[in-house]
Amino acid sequence: MMSDLLFYGLVTTLVLLSLLAVSLPNLLHGAIALIGSFFATAALYIMLQLEFVALSQIMLYIGGIIIFMLIIILLTSGLGQENRYMVKGRRRAAGAGVSALLLIGLLLTISQPSETLQKATLRAAPVTMDDIGFRLMATNKNGFIIPFEIISILLLVALVGAVVIARRDNGQEQES
Amino acid sequence: MNQLPTNHAFPTHNAIGELIRHLFPGGAVYINGFLTIASLLLLVSILPVFLIWLERKVAAHFQARLGPMRVGYHGLLQSTADGLKLIFKEVLKPEGADTFVFFLAPTLPATATFLVMTILPFDRHLQVADPAGGVVYALGVSSLSILGILLAGWASNNKYSLLGAMRSGAQMISFEISLALIMLLIVMLTGTASLREIVLSQNGTILDWWIFKLPFLGLIAFVMYMISSTAELNRAPFDISEAESELTGGFATEYSGISFAMFFFAEFVNMFVSAGLATTFFLGGFLAPQIGIGAIDAAFNFIPGFIWFFLKTFLVIFLYMWFRWTFPRVRVDQLMYLEWKMLLPANLVLLMSSGFFLAMGWIL
Repeated sequence: MMSDLLFYGLVTTLVLLSLLAVSLPNLLHGAIALIGSFFATAALYIMLQLEFVALSQIMLYIGGIIIFMLIIILLTSGLGQENRYMVKGRRRAAGAGVSALLLIGLLLTISQPSETLQKATLRAAPVTMDDIGFRLMATNKNGFIIPFEIISILLLVALVGAVVIARRDNGQEQES
Repeated sequence: MNQLPTNHAFPTHNAIGELIRHLFPGGAVYINGFLTIASLLLLVSILPVFLIWLERKVAAHFQARLGPMRVGYHGLLQSTADGLKLIFKEVLKPEGADTFVFFLAPTLPATATFLVMTILPFDRHLQVADPAGGVVYALGVSSLSILGILLAGWASNNKYSLLGAMRSGAQMISFEISLALIMLLIVMLTGTASLREIVLSQNGTILDWWIFKLPFLGLIAFVMYMISSTAELNRAPFDISEAESELTGGFATEYSGISFAMFFFAEFVNMFVSAGLATTFFLGGFLAPQIGIGAIDAAFNFIPGFIWFFLKTFLVIFLYMWFRWTFPRVRVDQLMYLEWKMLLPANLVLLMSSGFFLAMGWIL
């Protein structure tokens, strides 16, 4: 009962904030609404007992992506003005039609009782961080060791590359 | 570590929690939740007042002065008086500033510090929540304070503020990388990301704390943590975002009254949180220092854990204050040089060599 109320509250917040994020005329206000919607999504993940996904959502999206978005937004000029752009009625109707079709399709698919879906839900429900770690590092058929290592090497290359770029800049400064 | 209870959601099995569970079995969940939040709020509101007094006293004694002496015993009530004055002052908004963002921004750093505080293990059973990914949580949530500073700088409609905010944003993002790498080192050594278990993994004598456990590397990691966290806190010698002589106060230039107080208080609580994390990661958290002599160890164990936590945390805070009055402020380019060319490569090397030590079993 309590969790149902919480769920509907969160979902309403999420929908409202997402709508605000795309419809506010001021870009910065839109970004702030997006932060709120990310938080609501993280809360939904916690309700689904997906703690790790929620934490990565907070760390990656709010801690990383949003900050870079904000820095880019703040560096652009003409921010304070409200940029309104009128959309034509025909395009509005077309967008509404596509979304309605998607909504009907989703509702039809989800409402049908499917055994695979139920099994998958049961199996997926509480995933601890340890489970994810073991699965990522596993070398057997179900493991993700190779993608994991490739991604980690990619990230390490990015970090070392940042250092190298910083070095090269300094060298040129000294030469000139 | 397998003997620990599996449910870490609310490890509040202390005397007060048990008493309330005994008195009101039905509503205990709500009452205990309310009590934990209320006590944290109390701590968050008292801490900055005390820390500001401490900072002024430490600064004064480093400069051979007395500092605040008039209000209360040795000026203890001085910062309470200052806080009251700030609360009753008029809140001004610069012309052309974005009202919503201008008043939203000061709340964000305060929220961030409060959220990180919920996972600090004050004692064995004195912690609001202990998520399995506590370290990830602390890193993610603390970025809210960067958001607050960026938004404050932009919303003030002032060039100095925006410059200060941009400097501060770049600085905090850069140093968050080394901070995260050092936390990753500790997570790698302990094999857990929950703060409570990180503390419990240092059980034993002083030599089992992570600062001493890895020969030399732990000490280096601690020094690097102190440098990066000082930069992350925007404190001197890395306070270029506020740099009074260049930017007239940085992102907080246009703020007054309670809005300014929010920034100022959040800064000091943030210092406490950062010192608390250092205590948790390196100094054995709430564990009493054991030196291997029976009688002294027993006496130390008699003192409750939260007192040890606060003692260690205030020791680290004193170090932060010591830095402030010892080192001259660095320039922006020197700061970036320090992070990207020195701390980051050093961190990667440290991480690799610690992994090597761990694999070879060369741990004290």
